[in-house]
Amino acid sequence: MSPTSILKKPSAPNLPSTDKAVNPRHLEVALHHANIIENQKNVEKEILKAILDLMDFPTDPKADPARPSPADAAAFCNPLNLFQPSDYDSLIEERNLAEHCGYALCPRPRKKARNNARRHLITTENGVQVVEKKALEVWCSDDCARRAMYVKVQLNEEPAWLRRGGVGQKIELMAENQGEHQIALPLRLKGTNAPATEQMSEEDAAWAMRDEALAELAQERGEKPGQLSKANDVLIAAEIKENTDSKTPIAPSAEGMGHSHFAIEGHVPKADLKKEHDSSEEEYEAEDGDEDQEGEDADDDWDIAEMVEDELDAVLQDT
Amino acid sequence: MDNANLSRMWRVFKTTKEMCADRGYSVPEHELNITFDEFKQEYGRDDGDVDRTKMNYSCQPSESMLLKYSDPPTEKNPNPEPQIGTIWVEFNGDDNAGLKHLRDYMHFLNQGNFYSGIMITPKQMTGMALRFLRTSTTIDEGPKGGVEVFVEQDLLVNITKHELVPKHVLLSAEEKKQLLSRYRLRETQLPRIQQSDPVAKYLGLRRGQVVKIIRKSETAGRYASYRWCI
Repeated sequence: MSPTSILKKPSAPNLPSTDKAVNPRHLEVALHHANIIENQKNVEKEILKAILDLMDFPTDPKADPARPSPADAAAFCNPLNLFQPSDYDSLIEERNLAEHCGYALCPRPRKKARNNARRHLITTENGVQVVEKKALEVWCSDDCARRAMYVKVQLNEEPAWLRRGGVGQKIELMAENQGEHQIALPLRLKGTNAPATEQMSEEDAAWAMRDEALAELAQERGEKPGQLSKANDVLIAAEIKENTDSKTPIAPSAEGMGHSHFAIEGHVPKADLKKEHDSSEEEYEAEDGDEDQEGEDADDDWDIAEMVEDELDAVLQDT
Repeated sequence: MDNANLSRMWRVFKTTKEMCADRGYSVPEHELNITFDEFKQEYGRDDGDVDRTKMNYSCQPSESMLLKYSDPPTEKNPNPEPQIGTIWVEFNGDDNAGLKHLRDYMHFLNQGNFYSGIMITPKQMTGMALRFLRTSTTIDEGPKGGVEVFVEQDLLVNITKHELVPKHVLLSAEEKKQLLSRYRLRETQLPRIQQSDPVAKYLGLRRGQVVKIIRKSETAGRYASYRWCI
């Protein structure tokens, strides 16, 4: 018999309500972090998949590690962009457990130590050294070790999900037929573009180069193709305006520069100029001329002496 | 020296048998209480070392276990498929087990129609193999019930026999439903236990299952708590 409650029966099950108002900021933060974790999981899955593929690589047992076929090289290099050096070490470890040479482009089995001793004496350039048996059995030859390490030093220490700007730089192989790969590898954008540009005019080539450079810059900023660009990607289109209607220069003349002797570094002070005007003879003459033109209207200018004379005349006439 | 190795493997072997029995697989009594001499006779090689390939065995789930692992029947589905089946326990002799071994093992389990598997290795597997194991439930590869990996050293003693380890009892889906409705809880409101917890690993807990932990209590005699596996 199930236990019965003595409490009042609630009308609805007493579950916490789920329809609380969602704070958009909290949602955003939660989504941001969830996306980072999701991204990390995806990258880890891809690395794992790549290691599973590269574990039994190359497929052709007669492949030459010094001259890998372009297809093999591409299949090796492309997933390596995601790898950290530690992932690469794991790949080598897994290959060794499968009895392959640690270098993924080498089909040969790994070297076996002479006996089962844990440490071995090895003569190197620096004299005799004691080496762990494990370290001895990683590669099939010193050349393969060199080739594998050449790849390892190019790997990015930062985990792929934290890197900005997507895929990093191209991994280079230490191979004798380097030239073949550059044409065959799909990632070499510049290489594939090169022959096309030759047919274009010089200007078109310059524009193409500009577009490519802009795309690279956008990638460095962490933008994805198709996304709205953060930068104003229009180059400043400068309008060049030539000064075409220039005349032959004329030597400066003395005309109209009557006050040049007042000038202080080309500026003629106006306050001083006025005083000089009042005292100059020419101005007097001009003022006289003005009075003639104005005629009888200029009553204000009459002298007191003249006024006295007029009044005297009037008095004389009355008498 | 060889005798020491042999007795080591005997203890590991016994723990795995006990583990299977505790999970609910049907293990005959005499196999559980195998003595050292019997073990030496059956699995020892002429040179005195142990023959690990002979130690592999499979177990059938018991009736009660099948019931516990099947969902309660509904109208739509009156006979639900139990989420458990035959288990294959393999003792791997390789010092370093990697991705390759794990893949081969999963392939073997699929071939033999085993529901789940336990692999016991002398040393810890490589990091990539463990990562592969974590993601293998999402990858199509591998059996339905998943693969568990143990290191021999972890199975030398049966940890559940220790006095400080309380009794853990797995609840069936039906019991879990009753528990949640009794206490008016959602499962997220339960205390939790990690899947990597030693006892959780011993019992092979899966995400979302609930264990009842029964402790001794000075005041109450017995005290039960419930934990939700994550």
